[in-house]
Amino acid sequence: MSGEVLVAGVGAHPWGKWPDKSQLALALNAIDAALDDAGLGWRDVGALVAASSRFEGGMGWGLHANEVAQAVAEQPMACINVGGACAAGAIAFHTAANLIASGECDVAIAFGAERMPKGFIPRPPGGADDITDTDFLRWVAMGATNPAYWAIEAMRRRAEHGTTDETLARAAQLMRRHAADNPLARFRDPLTVEQVLASPMVADPLHLLEICPVSDGAAAVVLCSERMARRTGARTARIAGSAIGSGAFGDPARRIPSIASTVNGGTIHTSEVISAARTALDRAGLSPADLDVLEMADNSAWHLLAWPELLGLCEAGQADWLIDHDGFGRDGIAALNPSGGFLSFGEATTAQALLQICELVWQLRGDAGRRQVEGARVAMSAVLGLGANGGSVVLTT
Amino acid sequence: MTEAARAVAEGLFVTDGENAVLLGARCEGCGAVYFPRPLSCRNPACHEKRLTAVELPGEGTLISYTVQRYRPPPLFRMDDWAPYAIGLVSLGDGIEVMGMLSGFELDHIAIGSPVRVICAPLYTDDAGAPVHTYQFAPAPGR
Ligand SMILES: [Zn+2]
Repeated sequence: MSGEVLVAGVGAHPWGKWPDKSQLALALNAIDAALDDAGLGWRDVGALVAASSRFEGGMGWGLHANEVAQAVAEQPMACINVGGACAAGAIAFHTAANLIASGECDVAIAFGAERMPKGFIPRPPGGADDITDTDFLRWVAMGATNPAYWAIEAMRRRAEHGTTDETLARAAQLMRRHAADNPLARFRDPLTVEQVLASPMVADPLHLLEICPVSDGAAAVVLCSERMARRTGARTARIAGSAIGSGAFGDPARRIPSIASTVNGGTIHTSEVISAARTALDRAGLSPADLDVLEMADNSAWHLLAWPELLGLCEAGQADWLIDHDGFGRDGIAALNPSGGFLSFGEATTAQALLQICELVWQLRGDAGRRQVEGARVAMSAVLGLGANGGSVVLTT
Repeated sequence: MTEAARAVAEGLFVTDGENAVLLGARCEGCGAVYFPRPLSCRNPACHEKRLTAVELPGEGTLISYTVQRYRPPPLFRMDDWAPYAIGLVSLGDGIEVMGMLSGFELDHIAIGSPVRVICAPLYTDDAGAPVHTYQFAPAPGR
């Protein structure tokens, strides 16, 4: 990036079920907190980028930046709305960072807020009831829920790497251990391996406590130029690299909601995320070994084993040993989801990637309280969204 | 198949009553195989992107699976619902297809098993007619 882009402030509404709060109210709560944290006001804001909702809100189009502007700050701003499902927050952040890097404005806010429907995420409206819509086919032909896709990956991992039920349970347990110290997390009670394994089997080999539920939540990030940071004196984190990605042809990952894949031998698994993470690290001039903190999308316990390997934190098949020997705790090779991750938050889709970035900033500033990773200097996020969207952000002190 | 029988979606498979043949496509430009038939070849290195309809092989290998223990949302319909398995099957030529498994004991499913593609009734529609889907059943070892 031409000029440095900095994160000046972050804020989030606690995750949970908030039937009495509108999605817009959740968004404003998070944005207010982020602006306060940055020591800035609405008059300073030049751009508002919304990770736009798929599930609720707005004038029939989901939560948009314009709706926030109309609710709280009627002034000239660039209001931008980005899709990208669960990766939308990373795409909004990336867009906001580029608005500042290009010199278009000095302060931009990226935010996401979501109120999720109950239970298994259903098919969104609008698709045709025929073979052109795989989200139709996956339901009518076999009823494949989202956890089934992750479970099929986990079952294959068991065959390839000998992953045990106990290791999967320990990964879920680790998330709760981290979440115990995070007041924003929805589920904070510690878990034993026995408790995880005693929870109902949802899709073999994944138990209920090894799958992320859905939640309501909101998160916002205020980005600014160096010039603005000097003016306010805010405690900032530096955006060392940011990238978004899409899926590569031949990727063997089970991709929701498809019912079949065209696979070749040469393409990396989960390519939309891994390509984004590699690019973000390249832009930062850093390597996976430099990471102190990784906030990644743990839609299931399987993700906590597979993604650190795919992201290059360890070799393929090594994550089991690391999980079993606390290699991803606060004192591990890198702290894996010190926030508590999706398993402890429940996913509030558009807000989730921005919550990840909030946690990176708190860790880098030393503001994470009892969940602080000592000496954290390099922190990365990685997130995947429906439709082969990927995003990754590398922040440094 | 009897006159009243219908499939969960047109253009997904054809059947002789017992076996199902999945309807895919092969790109004449790069050889990539797809299921179901897509709008276009998805290979970015392929310039020709000329798709030909093909019938996919009737046998393959189970490369992974899960057992769904909860009933999916209502778009999925199944008479006499009970937990069932979904398999991931390699049909060769890089094509990997998900589908319900039939005829396996849920606690004794082995990755690597040979399977064949069958047609099976899934539910009875509002007019009383059976609606069919494709499934994967154990095949004699090859
Ligand atoms: Zn082609």
